[in-house]
Amino acid sequence: MADRLIINKEHLKSFLRKISKKHELIAPVKTSGGDTLLEVIHSVDEVIFDLKSKPVMPAKNFFFPRSETIFKYQRKGKHYKFDEILDNTPRILFGLRSCDLWGILFLDMIFQENFKDRYYLNRRINSVLINIGCNEPMKNCFCRSTKSGPFLTHGFDLQLTDLGDRFFVEIGRPRGREIVEEWNYFFSPATTKDREHQYEMVLEAESRFHQIVDMDTAVSRLMNDEVDDRVWDELGNRCQNCGGCAYVCPTCYCFNIVDIPFSETEGERKRIHDSCTFTGFTRLAGGYNPRHEKKRRIRRRFYHKLYYENKKHRRPSCVGCGRCVEICFGRVDMINFIKMVCEQGERSSRETSLRLGEILIEAGLLNREELKKALERQAGTGESLGTQLINEGLITREGVARALGYQLKIPENAGTGGSSGK
Amino acid sequence: MENRAQVLLRKMVANVYLPHTASIKRIKEETRDIKTFILCFKEEELRDKFTFRPGQFVLVSVFNCGEAPISISSSPEIAAELQLSIKKAGLLTGEIHGYKEGDEIGLRGPYGNGFPLEELYGRNILFVGGGIGLAPLRSLIQHVFAKKSDFGKITILYGARTPEDIVFKEDLNRWSKEDDAEVLTTVDMGDSRWKGNTGPVTHLWEKIEISPLNTKAVICGPPVMIPYVVFDLLKMGFAEEDIISTLERNMKCGVGKCGHCTLGSKFTCIDGPVFTYNEMKELPFLL
Repeated sequence: MADRLIINKEHLKSFLRKISKKHELIAPVKTSGGDTLLEVIHSVDEVIFDLKSKPVMPAKNFFFPRSETIFKYQRKGKHYKFDEILDNTPRILFGLRSCDLWGILFLDMIFQENFKDRYYLNRRINSVLINIGCNEPMKNCFCRSTKSGPFLTHGFDLQLTDLGDRFFVEIGRPRGREIVEEWNYFFSPATTKDREHQYEMVLEAESRFHQIVDMDTAVSRLMNDEVDDRVWDELGNRCQNCGGCAYVCPTCYCFNIVDIPFSETEGERKRIHDSCTFTGFTRLAGGYNPRHEKKRRIRRRFYHKLYYENKKHRRPSCVGCGRCVEICFGRVDMINFIKMVCEQGERSSRETSLRLGEILIEAGLLNREELKKALERQAGTGESLGTQLINEGLITREGVARALGYQLKIPENAGTGGSSGK
Repeated sequence: MENRAQVLLRKMVANVYLPHTASIKRIKEETRDIKTFILCFKEEELRDKFTFRPGQFVLVSVFNCGEAPISISSSPEIAAELQLSIKKAGLLTGEIHGYKEGDEIGLRGPYGNGFPLEELYGRNILFVGGGIGLAPLRSLIQHVFAKKSDFGKITILYGARTPEDIVFKEDLNRWSKEDDAEVLTTVDMGDSRWKGNTGPVTHLWEKIEISPLNTKAVICGPPVMIPYVVFDLLKMGFAEEDIISTLERNMKCGVGKCGHCTLGSKFTCIDGPVFTYNEMKELPFLL
């Protein structure tokens, strides 16, 4: 069978009805409130082919659910046991946007590297991904800048292009071919004219973006530590810790693991989505929190998505879907961040002193007058400044340790490793 | 129903999130708030298969309390008898402190990089421990004594708050009797019966002889101790890569996915928790 096919729009629903017999079908539907959502389809008539709206939530939720039970546990007497729960449902995701599909490809990488994630992979290897290229980028779409749309060149099982009365169908991965071969009577080979028509749609779509951002400049400014502190201050002030950006992001994969007790004898362990902008995300058992300041968490978020992922996986973990732009009422979103970074002036200097006395003053533990007097007395005793200050009762041992740690660039809370307790 | 690919996946890829049941064989009370649990896996096969490096940790599941990362405090030579020394600090550790012999917990791991053994061979080793920080060091110390001919002189400095807070008393005593080894203990506050050293561990430098050029220093202890020790070691002439310590971060998955323990582009759970001082210095530890 050829790699480029045509399916008439009037046949599409019958095709979907056929494939939904063996698979759970996930496709876009419109709610009574007017939102578009990706949902499990019970009747093919619910499916919408409207290219003007994008599902509110990303497709990652079908492979990495917002909340999933990973096992149940029981205690009988002294005995404690675990029963694994795996989801084996075969699924077809139809009508994905290129950005969402690209997001899944990104997660494939994350959940396969180092330790493999059975829960994710088990769902993923039993699924088929069918995307529809976007003829008309929406208001906040910027996938051209992230190179993840509006049409893909690989990674899909099937990719559809709307050509008016028909869909142009490209076969990508083997699962796509299997399906087309099984239901081959719905398809006919694409003509040269169809191919030209499709190519025109791609070019036109690419010229219609409302949002173009300079991802490369943003990445390079982060890499060279050239982002001005004022950017972080401002974004930190505007962020409301709601975590919305992470929940709607097709590539955010941070999670929490919690026990949900049912009774004195049983319960279940869940994995639930989490967000690096939440206050408690990095808090330790003793209360110490390396990212207690909001601006540090915002900094972490953008550094991770744009720079660290680029360093590790050669691509930023942003697919240009624009969902964070839509959800964030503080405008702490990707488009705004990149614009702020590109438009900032010269980075203000932040030379920090590495002398113990100055660090103590900056931390508010000592004033300049006290320091001057202590230095004079220190000259007489020959003790180190830290010891001198502790002996005189001006500062506690903990205070000096913190300043010394800062001076030596030792992460706070070093030394206890692994045995954090809970 | 599983499809063919899923059957293969099940056979080839272990479920890293699923704990293995282990039962508590013995419990040793170290101090009023620290207990050592001697554990044994229920699955017989695992008792031989489970191996680890000193400095690695496991995720401990306690019924209805979730999981917590705890570093292994016993030697890899006796992997069939895993020991965890746990300080009562919160919900999970509080619950396990109420457990009796025969009670069961869940374990998964081992995780983390562990101490860089290859770099320690042939060198003198200076261990500096404070409080419960001696637990991960104990695993390495026992391993070093088991293979003593591979290492040079061993010096162990240990500081605790009071004489009652000293952990692994018998071990400290035994180690001090080993050949080519020296053990010094100090407490912040002594009592009427305490005849030993008082003051921070850094006060013990004068009582020992170390050659900074051929010694690796391994440090674990409370955050207040680390900067003082590192500062003094650098002043003595230790190279930055010869100073080794560990980092603590909030951890959930232990397998480099959940994002809680990240330090820049690194994960404490897979790239750490053990870092040399020159590595630590370069970590964007607030990111």
